[in-house]
Amino acid sequence: MVFQKKFELISSQKLSEKIFRLGFFAPEIVKNACPGNFVHIRVGDKSSPLLRRAFSIFDLDLKKDCFDILFKVVGPGTEILSRKSTGENLDLLGPLGNGFEIPKGDRSPVLVAGGMGIAPLMSLAFYLVKNQKIKPEKISFLYGERIKGGFVCLEDLKELGIKTLLATEDGSEGFEGMVTELFLRKVKETSFVKDSPIFSCGPHPMMKTMSELSKKHNLFCQLSLESHMPCGLGACWGCVVKTNRDGGEPDYKRICKDGPIFDAREVELD
Amino acid sequence: MTDLSVRVGKTTFKNPVLVASGTFGYGEEYSELFDLNQLGGIVTKSITLNPREGNPPPRTCETPSGMLNSIGLANVGVDRFIQEKIPFLNKFNTNIIINVAGSTPEEYLRVVEKLNHAQGIDMLEINISCPNVKEGGMAFGSDPESAHRCTSSIRKVTNYPLMVKLTPNVKDIVEIAQAVEDSGADCISLINTLVGMAIDFRIKKPLLKTVTGGLSGPAIKPVALAMVWKVSQKVKIPVVGIGGITNTQDALEFLLAGASLIQVGTSNFVDPQTSVRIIEGLKDYCEKNEIKRVMEIVGKLEN
Repeated sequence: MVFQKKFELISSQKLSEKIFRLGFFAPEIVKNACPGNFVHIRVGDKSSPLLRRAFSIFDLDLKKDCFDILFKVVGPGTEILSRKSTGENLDLLGPLGNGFEIPKGDRSPVLVAGGMGIAPLMSLAFYLVKNQKIKPEKISFLYGERIKGGFVCLEDLKELGIKTLLATEDGSEGFEGMVTELFLRKVKETSFVKDSPIFSCGPHPMMKTMSELSKKHNLFCQLSLESHMPCGLGACWGCVVKTNRDGGEPDYKRICKDGPIFDAREVELD
Repeated sequence: MTDLSVRVGKTTFKNPVLVASGTFGYGEEYSELFDLNQLGGIVTKSITLNPREGNPPPRTCETPSGMLNSIGLANVGVDRFIQEKIPFLNKFNTNIIINVAGSTPEEYLRVVEKLNHAQGIDMLEINISCPNVKEGGMAFGSDPESAHRCTSSIRKVTNYPLMVKLTPNVKDIVEIAQAVEDSGADCISLINTLVGMAIDFRIKKPLLKTVTGGLSGPAIKPVALAMVWKVSQKVKIPVVGIGGITNTQDALEFLLAGASLIQVGTSNFVDPQTSVRIIEGLKDYCEKNEIKRVMEIVGKLEN
């Protein structure tokens, strides 16, 4: 079930110069949401910026009927959103999208986040530990950023008891290089990764690499993809990704409706 | 009680507010959000003879008070449409208008012939104005002769009422409208999107993969209003106004300019309930101003 109505902003936190965490009291959305879903937010009532902005659900609190989003200010839409104060009501549409497929059994999940790709993976991590009762020490969380100061949510991960492997492009913290390189090392060094459910979200080039690695090593990896989305509902066909589901002719799937979660082996990213 | 109904030829619309092709899918996506029975009509996404994948992404981008799209008529094809989508649309008590497109004049005819055998269709909207396909689309609506040929050949093969959708990307839209009227159309809808482009100067690349696309949204409203006004002066058949309509005030402006019906397009993305808010707004406006029938406002621009 999808809802469109005004929901109250109940918390607003500035995590770094450009990264914000907003919380909404939204019982209808929370009751129907699962990790990997997103919400479509109208940031203002003016004609510019016109379209809604899509945000992954970052933290889902079923007890308090609220959820959080996490975002970086990158343009006028996110800039307006960052200036909202608690008590304001925002027009939200959601929950949208298909959500992560969480495999049954006791295989150890591997989560690979790059930059703001942390958002949907945090909601998944909370879910795996709190709802699926997976022992936090069984979860591998790989997290990449440009520089040491870029990481967010490290405290949350620590609180959950998840051990996190960090990668920075400049080597100022953890592994020096891309998080995908760290991931590849893990695939080669540790036998279990090949049988693990893998979940990943990050910038487009990273998703492309994860897709290629998954095809090459035949990994079951789910990617959370991002795109501009005019409708968010599957009506406009504006946010498509090329897929190759059955090994036949490529076809286009809607990121908003058929995704945003896709099997990394089925998508063809350029 | 205000009478919001509008008659176009033999077709009665319960109110003048329709949702525009390409912005409302086949109705399913929006049915969870509001009661589709409230709408004056639903214009479906364009249907072609065979399924179409559409254009490579990125297909959309935002521009000041508007957006560009280059979807490329992605659709399930007429056979699957009849089997899978029409039964759903027929559950609702609203007019169902099927938007028909093609790469060749023959393709339009074959789609229409297949639709002749389907149930529950109230009208066809003939898309001779899509700017985002290599063949057909806008080409048929770009000069009076081809617009006339395309419309009259369809007129000959179907009894469905015809709404013909015009492109603003022409020298003189009035000439095209007159040609379409002469060829037996029951009404004319305008405008489709304006050809536009956006560039990311930092990477020296266009924001759309197809480089150019169709501009829609509030940015095009003044252009649409002017064209609706011009066309409605010169044709006798009803005009359907489209272009940047986001609220009741916009809808009233189009009615005053001469539109008998309006279509809500891009605004369905911004606020999926735009059309129902406009229907409520028109009702309130008419009641407050003691207007018995909404048709009384049509073309009542004073100048």
